[in-house]
Amino acid sequence: MILRIINFIVIGALVLAAAYVYRIKYEATVQAERLAKLRDEVRRERDKIALLRAEWGTLDDPARIQDLAQRFLKLKPVEATQFDTLDHLPDQPPDYMRPGSKDPIGGMIEHLEVPVDVTGSVTPPHTPNAAPAPPAALNPSGADSR
Amino acid sequence: MSAMAEGLPIEPAEPWLRRWKRSLLYGRNVDRSAKARARVGLAIIAFIVVYGIIALRLVMFGIVADSRSPNRVIADDAVATARPDILDRNGEILATDVRVPSLYAEPRRLIDVDEAVELLTADLPDLDATELRARLSSKKGFVWLKRDITPAQEKEIYSQGLPGIGFLNENKRDYPNGPEVSHLIGHVNIDNQGIAGMEKWLDSHGLAALHMAGLATDRLQNPVVLAVDLRVQHALRDELVKAREHFHALAAAGVVLNVKTGEIVAMVSEPDYDPNDPRQALEPSRINRLTTGVYEMGSTFKAFTVAMALDSGKVTLNSSFDARMPLRMGRFLIHDFEPQHRILTVPEIFTYSSNIGAARMALSLGTAAQQAFLKKMGQLDRLHTELPESAEPILPRRWSDLTTATIAFGHGLSVAPLQAVMGVAAIMNGGILIPPTFLKRTQQQADALGKRVIKPQTSEMMRYLMRLNVEKGTARKADVPGYYIGGKTGTADKVVNGRYSKTKVLTDFMAIMPADRPRYLLLIMLDEPKATPETHGFTTSGWNAVPTGAKVVARIAPLLGIEPRMDLPPADQLILASLKESR
Repeated sequence: MILRIINFIVIGALVLAAAYVYRIKYEATVQAERLAKLRDEVRRERDKIALLRAEWGTLDDPARIQDLAQRFLKLKPVEATQFDTLDHLPDQPPDYMRPGSKDPIGGMIEHLEVPVDVTGSVTPPHTPNAAPAPPAALNPSGADSR
Repeated sequence: MSAMAEGLPIEPAEPWLRRWKRSLLYGRNVDRSAKARARVGLAIIAFIVVYGIIALRLVMFGIVADSRSPNRVIADDAVATARPDILDRNGEILATDVRVPSLYAEPRRLIDVDEAVELLTADLPDLDATELRARLSSKKGFVWLKRDITPAQEKEIYSQGLPGIGFLNENKRDYPNGPEVSHLIGHVNIDNQGIAGMEKWLDSHGLAALHMAGLATDRLQNPVVLAVDLRVQHALRDELVKAREHFHALAAAGVVLNVKTGEIVAMVSEPDYDPNDPRQALEPSRINRLTTGVYEMGSTFKAFTVAMALDSGKVTLNSSFDARMPLRMGRFLIHDFEPQHRILTVPEIFTYSSNIGAARMALSLGTAAQQAFLKKMGQLDRLHTELPESAEPILPRRWSDLTTATIAFGHGLSVAPLQAVMGVAAIMNGGILIPPTFLKRTQQQADALGKRVIKPQTSEMMRYLMRLNVEKGTARKADVPGYYIGGKTGTADKVVNGRYSKTKVLTDFMAIMPADRPRYLLLIMLDEPKATPETHGFTTSGWNAVPTGAKVVARIAPLLGIEPRMDLPPADQLILASLKESR
């Protein structure tokens, strides 16, 4: 009796297993097809990328750029005198801006008390606000000196 | 089964009829039960084997099945195999593969040849009708009709629906920069196999084997990065093209070499060709003069002579040689181009480019020393780089004293210009001879390859002389402000019909930049430049190769990251003084 029950269970398990395997197999086929399709797509995309890169290479060819630049731009080749090093940069201007001020340039102008050097032979300018002082003269005490 | 296991031994009580049958079938004394057990065992084994095989096959299919399908896809196209991309040192594309359709036919499956010929020639007018007919009438299984057709043509032919006509996608090599890097990169044949330049090098280094195995069909190979800088290459080529036109020269060539690593950053030999149209490369005037040509380099060779003399220790910068009279060697007289008629010191010999002085210097050291030195500097053996094309130097048949004297100023020994560049680079960079390369190379790799050939002090003295030559000597026109160039000019009379020509010359110019901290060596070479009004009738190097070199330096130095420095002191203060301090 027990033997018979076991037999039935085994048969049932067999049918289930067969159904399951069939499903897995079917899914695997679907996946494999998708994989092949994706691979093909990747390959095609890669070919397209290669084509675009080749085209970019042609468009980016220095000879072509030079020709276009000479025709349409007023730029000229760089000369050695146009280079400078970072240590030749002037010192950073002192920070005049008050915290919360919305007008940094206005703040700077407010700070500038134009030192008018008056000597015997020079008459002081009539309108001190009209002419902006040369930047070299503006060296307030706050400037860092290196 | 259980009944059988329990039912041992079998009851002998059998009906007589059955017993009789049994004795007839099996014999009288046979134990049937033992036999049955053996049979059952045999059946069990047979089933185990059969099911075992089935299980094993299942596992094998599970493992192997996947690798089958992509192979079939690849076999469909990619007849001309894929090649890795070639990039310049900044990652700009120099060569890449694009897929193009190609037209083929299977003549056996063709139904109407006449119709096919008619329709195909209508779509592809450049196809020869008689040849096409011959091909289609053949009994072959497969013939190419036309490689590399446009997608529009493919569509047109496809829509005609001819049986036995098909398309294959092939890899085609594309060189987006055209003639810019032609000699360096080489080109490929219709089957995408490298036949010149770096392309051939690629094939000889594993790619061909990959192709044979059918593996190099995908685009997944790593790109090859070259040492060349496309921008520098373009600037050099542009200036050389202009110079060749301006001086009506037969050819113009140039090299930019990193003296610390031996990397060739730019190499141009004009006239060149477009690798997309490799037929041009067959014209003999378009050879690569830098590696496949050998030339007498003229006075630039004096750099070797002076370096040899200074390195021997027998000659110092203060030594002097008699240049009052032309030097008589047997039947020959050695003249100076700018005769000074006095005794010259070593720097004067270098800056006036005195043939007499250089000859006397070499003679004072002897032929054996010169041979040994030039051998050490790699000037007597064929130079091997990645490029398959290379030429062997032409050595004198008999190395007499006269030969020693003429080689001292660059006549009598023909070398490939790239070879001379390598030697001068070793003299400039502190005395390390590094084989030049077209592939990107790190400083460590270069250090491992380099070998010391001259003392560092000699190299420093030579750089002083090179700079002095720009400040006071024959290369004054090369003094681009800010880059502290040092240089040596050379003008060699060309050999025409076995005699030195008086009018046809080869001019060259070697420039080191900057002279105090050497980084790059530039060679400019012009073949048969003609005099122009600005050169006042001269065709010597100082009037054509040197100004060209100056223009090139002004353009490439910013690209190479050389910082311009203004107001540097003259060479005897900057280089010579530091030399004395270090002693």
